[in-house]
Amino acid sequence: MKGLTTLILLCVSTISYATEQAEEIFKQLAPSLYQIRLIDTASGEKSSIGSGFQISSDGLIATNYHVISGYARHPNKYTIEIFDHKGKKAPLTLQSVDVINDLALVKRITDTEMPFFEIAKSVPQKGEELYSLGNPHDLGMIVVPGTYNGLKKESFNDRIHFTGSVNSGMSGGPVVNKNSEVVGINVATSGNQIGFLVPHDKLLNLYQRYKTSEPVNIDTQMAQQLANNQDKLITTLLNSAWQMRPLGEGLIPVVNIPFIRCWGESNADKADAIVSAVVANCSLDENTYISNNFFTGSIEMEYRYMQAKELSDTKFYQIFERQLNQVMPGNKAGKDDVTEFQCQHDITSPSNQAITNKSVFCTRAYKDFPKLFDVLYIAISVDKGDKALLSHFTIAGVSQDSALNFTEKFMESISWK
Amino acid sequence: MEIIIEEITRAHKLIARHKFLQNNINIGRGYDNDIIMADPHICAQHLNLSFNGEHWVLNDDDSINGSFYEDEYSKTKLAINQHIVHSGQVFVIGKSLIRVIFPDHPVPESISFSPFENILNLTRHPVFLTLSILCFASVTGWLFNLHNPVEATFTGLLVPAIGMTLMFTLWPAGVALVSHLTKHEARFWGQLGICFVFFNLMWVSDFIENLVSFNASSQSMFGMLASLLPILLAFCLFWLNCHIGFQMTNKRRTVVAACMTLLLFGGSFLIQLSKKPEFSIRPAFNTTLMAPSYLFARSNNVQDFIENSKTLFTKAQEAAKEEEK
Repeated sequence: MKGLTTLILLCVSTISYATEQAEEIFKQLAPSLYQIRLIDTASGEKSSIGSGFQISSDGLIATNYHVISGYARHPNKYTIEIFDHKGKKAPLTLQSVDVINDLALVKRITDTEMPFFEIAKSVPQKGEELYSLGNPHDLGMIVVPGTYNGLKKESFNDRIHFTGSVNSGMSGGPVVNKNSEVVGINVATSGNQIGFLVPHDKLLNLYQRYKTSEPVNIDTQMAQQLANNQDKLITTLLNSAWQMRPLGEGLIPVVNIPFIRCWGESNADKADAIVSAVVANCSLDENTYISNNFFTGSIEMEYRYMQAKELSDTKFYQIFERQLNQVMPGNKAGKDDVTEFQCQHDITSPSNQAITNKSVFCTRAYKDFPKLFDVLYIAISVDKGDKALLSHFTIAGVSQDSALNFTEKFMESISWK
Repeated sequence: MEIIIEEITRAHKLIARHKFLQNNINIGRGYDNDIIMADPHICAQHLNLSFNGEHWVLNDDDSINGSFYEDEYSKTKLAINQHIVHSGQVFVIGKSLIRVIFPDHPVPESISFSPFENILNLTRHPVFLTLSILCFASVTGWLFNLHNPVEATFTGLLVPAIGMTLMFTLWPAGVALVSHLTKHEARFWGQLGICFVFFNLMWVSDFIENLVSFNASSQSMFGMLASLLPILLAFCLFWLNCHIGFQMTNKRRTVVAACMTLLLFGGSFLIQLSKKPEFSIRPAFNTTLMAPSYLFARSNNVQDFIENSKTLFTKAQEAAKEEEK
């Protein structure tokens, strides 16, 4: 009984200590913490909200790119302003962005030196207690204690796995350690106490690059970042081992990289199906946010093996033709962002002549980011009467050379056993 | 002196033809006339036509609604009194038309039997016609089955096959009806025979179009050429419809058939164009797939395919620049 009482007291005292510490940190940091508002110029009302924090004495504020993306894409439609802990408003200007890591630097005009957050010099220890700050759902600034759980596994661009509640509106808010140093920036949540943060070194990089040379044009800066990121991704994919795996009687390439995750499905349980189908798809689980209706940076590969059961060849290929009509791009983009797809098709075979495909290649260009394209490839084997292999990929926001290099390797990899 | 008087419709189609040997002819509604008209707008004693030894002269007998000479060129009506008649002239009495012709009036050249007549006679033969319709219905049923995601039963296919066949019968029936209404011979069976031959040829053209589109790459012109085939077939069908159902010159028949083809394909193109959204996120490409036994084209290699894809990037980039303007 004594032991239990001691344990309960210990827990209560730990919780109360953590709460006190959180309160202390909040009080200390509140003057450098802001709510960031995107104001619709026509209506004068806020269009979206997020959080931000000061990182220099001269008024430089860090936040998420997605908090101010409306302004970055349509500077004439919106203005950005901050709302500080005393309820004062001030206008902001956009200085620099890191669209890949979802970061942005905005600036307020100030004559006096202002308090600011220190950015940590080192990475936290796994299990270390961290404090996430922000303004969830416009309810007021809060502090949320949580735990550092290392970097997210199977991620192409690093994200910290934070065990704590990161809610809408807290985006762009800082996550600090016990010494009040910024170790991450709130960026996303998966619910159930699973939050994701941008590591502090990404912010440090952006800040230092900004100090060296301020970007002339945000669109050009974004285009360069998107191109670099996709080139890095495609180079990694092309240089990694492509394992050939069987799918029915076909052989499909599977890229052996942790951040490309594969899933499979089949209709083996449906005895009355007229066609037996096995599906495998591999994709990058992350994409780059550009605006509400425009995402890029994704890559998807899909393979489908189909075998006819007591079905004429003509009808079997008719079923396949219907599947060709359902092809859609892998990312979200609209008329303002991209052109319509340009397509070509042909009957093709790889160098080893191991398969004959009807291949289709389509591409569309980004309107605001020159030399970036979405590409789509789909091929269906047309050399076996009662069985066929579909191979398909889409890549978003890629350069012409990267896209064609990937297409060539992909086309050369598909074959029959 | 011999004279021929024709009763004609407003479209100058012949209703009745009378030949007279006497020098004086009376036309009217009265039963004592040489030509007894039924038109209530014509008087009992309406018109008199007499030969004065040199000319035939027309005299209106003070009729209520008068008699008029229809000027062929100006299309104006001129009241007649002591009008000297020339061969081929048309006169309006009441709401009816008559044409006066002299025995030496030239007639158009004889039309020789069309080489199509034999084919037309074959297509309307009951055995051929039945086979033709059965062939159409079978292909229709087979196509329904092909486009059905699950295996369909025979009776399940019978209804759409018969339904489609009946629907396609409406066209020859419609043409025959128009022929009949325009005082031509209806020739329904002839229309039906030739239409079903062409409907079956349309299936063949569909198949050829699919075959070409499956085998040809997007760089090839064959796909576009194959799509001209149904247009050509439709033109031929309309031309033959006119040939069977209406008496007209070859030139006029060609113009009518061309106009109908334009209406059909131009109309469906306009409908497609109007349905096309301003912007589509869905890629549009040739999706034709056929079984391997229909593949005749040689495979292209990957390098050439990649090389051809390069032009798409240029096109897309140009489209982006164009739309930005």
